[in-house]
Amino acid sequence: MSDLTQTLPQVKSGPDWVLIRKRTRSFIAHAFVLTLVAIMLLPLFYMVMMSFKTSTEIAQDPLGLPESLYWGNYMAALSSMGYVRSVLNSIGITISVIVVVVLTGAMAAYPLARMNNRISKTIVMVMALGLATPNFVTITPIYVIFRDLGLLDSYLGIVLAFAALKLPLAVFFYTGFIAAIPMDLEEAAKLDNCNSWQIFWHVIRPLLAPVTATLSLFIMIMVWNDFIYPLLLLTDKSKLTVMIAVYKFVGNTGIDPTKLFPAAVLGSLPLLIMFVAFQRKIMAGATAGAVK
Amino acid sequence: MAELSMNKVVKRYGATQVVHGVDLDIKDGEFCVFVGPSGCGKSTLLRMIAGLEETSEGRMTIGPKDVTHFDPAERGVAMVFQTYALYPHMTVRENMSFGLKISGEDKTVIKEKVDKAGQILKLADYMDRKPKALSGGQRQRVAIGRAIVRQPDVFLFDEPLSNLDAELRVEMRVEIARLHKQLGATMIYVTHDQVEAMTMADKIVVLRAGRIEQVGAPVELYENPDNLFVAGFIGSPRMNFFDGEVIELGFHQVMVTVPRLGNVVVPVAVQSELRLGQPVTLGLRPEHFDPKGDVKVTLPIDVHENLGGVSYVYSNSDEADLPIIVELRGQRPPVGSDLEIGLNPEFALLFDPQSEERIR
Ligand SMILES: Nc1ncnc2c1ncn2[C@@H]1O[C@H](COP(=O)(O)OP(=O)(O)OP(=O)(O)O)[C@@H](O)[C@H]1O
Ligand SMILES: [Mg+2]
Repeated sequence: MSDLTQTLPQVKSGPDWVLIRKRTRSFIAHAFVLTLVAIMLLPLFYMVMMSFKTSTEIAQDPLGLPESLYWGNYMAALSSMGYVRSVLNSIGITISVIVVVVLTGAMAAYPLARMNNRISKTIVMVMALGLATPNFVTITPIYVIFRDLGLLDSYLGIVLAFAALKLPLAVFFYTGFIAAIPMDLEEAAKLDNCNSWQIFWHVIRPLLAPVTATLSLFIMIMVWNDFIYPLLLLTDKSKLTVMIAVYKFVGNTGIDPTKLFPAAVLGSLPLLIMFVAFQRKIMAGATAGAVK
Repeated sequence: MAELSMNKVVKRYGATQVVHGVDLDIKDGEFCVFVGPSGCGKSTLLRMIAGLEETSEGRMTIGPKDVTHFDPAERGVAMVFQTYALYPHMTVRENMSFGLKISGEDKTVIKEKVDKAGQILKLADYMDRKPKALSGGQRQRVAIGRAIVRQPDVFLFDEPLSNLDAELRVEMRVEIARLHKQLGATMIYVTHDQVEAMTMADKIVVLRAGRIEQVGAPVELYENPDNLFVAGFIGSPRMNFFDGEVIELGFHQVMVTVPRLGNVVVPVAVQSELRLGQPVTLGLRPEHFDPKGDVKVTLPIDVHENLGGVSYVYSNSDEADLPIIVELRGQRPPVGSDLEIGLNPEFALLFDPQSEERIR
């Protein structure tokens, strides 16, 4: 025992430079990330702050903090924007789009991921084109087609439009993920008397849970915040989404900041709530559904 | 329970043929092992039996049914995969129940069968765990359990133990053998492992490049191989092969000189007619060198591997040929010295170097 301790190298006293360097590096990295986060949160903070200021405060000191939390703006915005109705519209449309895109996307991706021939490769290429097409290119054709189909100003129309636009993303997500699921699992299922549909439903689909959560989150944010398509396809006031309702406060002649900012906060609030709820799901899904 | 029979079975992937007309009969309740070098078509043949690969040509029957073009589930087979292929999102119980559930089996019957399988495989404590929370050996047992509950006529195993460590392998090997006795089902088992093949099989099928080289009981293949390939493949360490020449013909016996062993003359019993001067390949297993052997040889020792009970001496390893391997018991000669040893000519086998067939 005593032999052993003697042969060990002496521990040097004084500063441990390796540790100090490591700590410094980690400190700098953290400071950098925190700065980025602060920059990103600034507009949000500004929006919330503005929503509590009276019109005089805004006029006198647009960048200052409000003196007290003034809830009057919220009352005014709520009463003039049809909040509940438009939030329900947004939620309904967003959820419908997610359901349609997730189901059809996964079902389309499954054969595409498993077949390895020219046809399936071509389809994947076309899907990639769909991803790369700028929004503005599709606006006019979608409007004309939906007008001719009589789908203007209907929930079905707006859901179909969003679903079609987001489908390429879903197919892309899912093909990569399904391709990574080992064939053995499917073969085991075949021996367990499953037909193709049952393999998809009982074996593939449950394994897609984590990627589905991530994808749904993406779609949720995009659909919720989009206002080009609702503006294009919906005119009936009762069918408008919440983001359009917010945008109504940006008038042709001027902006009413006392209503716009609280409306913007109110418009993003449900999204924030859903986001937080979803995030837990993602974590749960990521750990539960992992292959192997 | 059923016998299985393959008649001129062929597998092609596009233009490449990987199984070339295999004829094979496996009896009811037999434990049949496929062995062969990597890429010889063991898995392909097994998957053809399972119905996971189309049979390009030929017929296949299980029991009375011609199953050549049946779907996997209709064949009455169950397969245990090398990777276990357990459904990751299902518990052990759900994994084992899944096939029966899909087939519309009654819930109470499923529970009964799954509980019984869990008991046989000592899985009762893990029924509600996901596969991720199991050890490799436990996962393998679940995979076997999933096969058992379907009560198949034929069990198929594709290198089921190759992902386990040595100790667990032995344990599972014994367990599968026990299971075979208990269930009395026909089992077909693919392996790379000599020991698994020799200990478990009723019948070994040696495959090479999509063809059957020989079929037989383990001891039969070991003692009585049909050709050079089987002689060299079965047995570990492998058989020694020497170039030789027939120098004397006798009644049911020839004399063969072996240049590599210092031109010793080895008498070998054969029935077939040979001619003087005919080149032959002489095969001798490492354990058939014997200090008391009749024919004495001297071998320089290059490497000495001591395994405890037995040890192996490698000789002439600097020559172009493979080293000569000699098994020793008790003796521990030093490396660099010369080993004086005899050989037992009654165990020597003769092969035709051209056709590689055995000369009997
Ligand atoms: N989908 C395929 N297309 C073309 N050739 C294939 C395909 N699958 C397998 N092969 C070929 O068939 C031959 C037999 O393969 P197989 O997997 O049956 O070998 P194996 O004996 O199981 O080998 P291992 O011991 O390495 O598992 C190989 O030469 C392989 O390249
Ligand atoms: Mg294989």
